[in-house]
Amino acid sequence: MGLVCRVAEEAGIATVCVSTGRDLTVQVLPPRSAFVNFPMGNNFGAPGDVERQSEIMRTALAMIHETEQAGRLIDLPYEWSGPFEYFTGRGKNTAEAAS
Amino acid sequence: MEPIKYVDELIAHYGSLGFPEYKWTVNDTAPLHRLEKPLSECVVSILVSGGVSQCSMPGFDPDARNDHRLDAIANETPEDDFQIHDSYYDHTDAEHDINCVFPITRLREFADAGEIGGVAARHWSGFMGRIYNRTKVLEESAPAFVAKLNEDAVDILLAVPA
Repeated sequence: MGLVCRVAEEAGIATVCVSTGRDLTVQVLPPRSAFVNFPMGNNFGAPGDVERQSEIMRTALAMIHETEQAGRLIDLPYEWSGPFEYFTGRGKNTAEAAS
Repeated sequence: MEPIKYVDELIAHYGSLGFPEYKWTVNDTAPLHRLEKPLSECVVSILVSGGVSQCSMPGFDPDARNDHRLDAIANETPEDDFQIHDSYYDHTDAEHDINCVFPITRLREFADAGEIGGVAARHWSGFMGRIYNRTKVLEESAPAFVAKLNEDAVDILLAVPA
């Protein structure tokens, strides 16, 4: 994804990445990234949380014009509602089905 | 809490699945294109890499490697017309509200409110992870994708890796 952003940016399309994998993003270094410390797949927050989803998108889109240093990453200040772990392929539904 | 160390976790996970060692791309510089016109005049498209497809389409291969499939998704697609197939993240929440990972309704609201100039005719889903043949991304798949963005006069790409 970061690679695709870099190719698009070089071709004249401004890009911003809303990432949940901080170390992955730092390695690939897309032109602009907003890091959200939420579970992967909840990049914009919780279901139905329109306000937070909009805030995250607004902050990310604002980076398009605010960013002066290529490869800039900002850490958004939000905290997820509880602890979460790296997902190993066993979904909640899978776990329920197996139990 | 501290951010998850995905690099370490993925190396262990891929190894446990018998995948070859993944060579991460590490860059120390990045390109930057400055837009002259304000956000309120810009056309925005979304790209998501989390196995999101319309219900009328085949699901993505949830365990895919080197999958360069890229679906165009018409902007007017209803938000309940999506399915998600990807074994590498928990998409339970996104199945309830696609905007968690593919915020098409939020983007339409931004256009309606005049925060952005408009929503592109098409959004995009593809470039799922575990792509080992990255030269193909850089030389074929990504340039072909950029050509489609240009067809739709896209100014800004909002990218959502998952």
